[in-house]
Amino acid sequence: MPGLALAGFVAAAGAEPSAERGEYVFRATGGCSCHTNAAAGGALMAGGRPIATPFGAVYSTNITPDVETGIGAWSDRDFTVAMTEGVGPDGTHFFPAFPYTSFTRMTEEDLLDLKAYLFTLPPVSNATPPPDIPLHRGWRAGVAAWNFLYFSPGTFAPEPDSSEAWNRGNYLATALGHCAECHTPRDFLGGMRRDLAYAGTSAGPEGEAAPNITPNDDTGVGGWNSVDMVWFLQTGLKPDGDSASGTMMELIENGYQYMTEEDLAALALYLQSLAPIGSSP
Amino acid sequence: MRRIGSALSALSVAAAMTAACAEESTSAAEAAAGAHYEYREKVMESIGANMGAIGDIMKNKLPHQANIAVHARTIQLAAGLIESAFQEKVVTGESLPAVWEKWDEFAAAAKATEEASGNLAAAAATGDMAATGQAVRALGKTCGSCHKVFREKKE
Repeated sequence: MPGLALAGFVAAAGAEPSAERGEYVFRATGGCSCHTNAAAGGALMAGGRPIATPFGAVYSTNITPDVETGIGAWSDRDFTVAMTEGVGPDGTHFFPAFPYTSFTRMTEEDLLDLKAYLFTLPPVSNATPPPDIPLHRGWRAGVAAWNFLYFSPGTFAPEPDSSEAWNRGNYLATALGHCAECHTPRDFLGGMRRDLAYAGTSAGPEGEAAPNITPNDDTGVGGWNSVDMVWFLQTGLKPDGDSASGTMMELIENGYQYMTEEDLAALALYLQSLAPIGSSP
Repeated sequence: MRRIGSALSALSVAAAMTAACAEESTSAAEAAAGAHYEYREKVMESIGANMGAIGDIMKNKLPHQANIAVHARTIQLAAGLIESAFQEKVVTGESLPAVWEKWDEFAAAAKATEEASGNLAAAAATGDMAATGQAVRALGKTCGSCHKVFREKKE
């Protein structure tokens, strides 16, 4: 039923953005956890969390609806351009630690619902530091070049020959959950190694290793079934009883655990359809 | 000269014996450290195994719901052993030096797991599966937040 499969990705014409649906989108991204400086007791979505990159630390931005220091003055278009092109309302490029490289796949409807939800959060005045990147003023121009090399913008396009569940899982993994951003090794310029997508990296975010989540039997999650994956994304508990570490636990707690079982099963279906990759560098 | 010679040879024998003793005591210390490590690994693995067993029951809806409380009590008892199992400072395996550098924090984290497993046992005993699920999450969170600080990151 390809016609039906597409239905979920086409914005209902003229539908008003819904904060309620937006909350679900928010959860499905992992609760936008990078925008809360949890370790320092920072307010929800008020930014300032240091994100270590090989080029220096960047700090997440304040995405509360505070007009001065947050996104309270942003128009719908400002928001969608930031999310899908990585460019702020003043025309400056965001550092690609912000995964616009994934969010570019989001539907217009999901983007505007998410914005509607974020605008229901308490505004917090918190000016966040600029990136701590020693390339001085040059780096923003560098990002434009980086985008040329690594960034392929565009909304998610479902594959009409694949099932509705698989397409939904693909959308959840690539556009919302942005799994590949952490679970893929990067080259010396910080671009994702597409040939090793989802194969894990020892140099993941915040100094943590991100495991191989392709269905490889030895180093990946080949031994996990769909039920194992759903349970993991609901609880952070692996089949052997071990817990997720650090960042993943945070994303589950703030986000993925609230997703419907149907969506989590679709996500598992998609991840299990990936080509198994044996080892990562 | 003879006296000096025999004294010297006695000294060298003594030195050789001391060296042999030192070697022996080093390997004895290593063996003891290894034994501490092996023991604490088993304590932690028993917690993991019972956590995995709870997961098996819940995610597959196995007809063993009554066992969840028992597994939770088992975790609670084992978690009560963490502090003594790690008392000896043996920096090996996945344990980070932070375990002993921030001992009070480590002990408090172990205590949190003990309490959370007690809460899970209580929730499971009521048969309320929603509350049980929440208690499992809360317990898993105590595992994860302790591992975040005190356990080396796995690949």
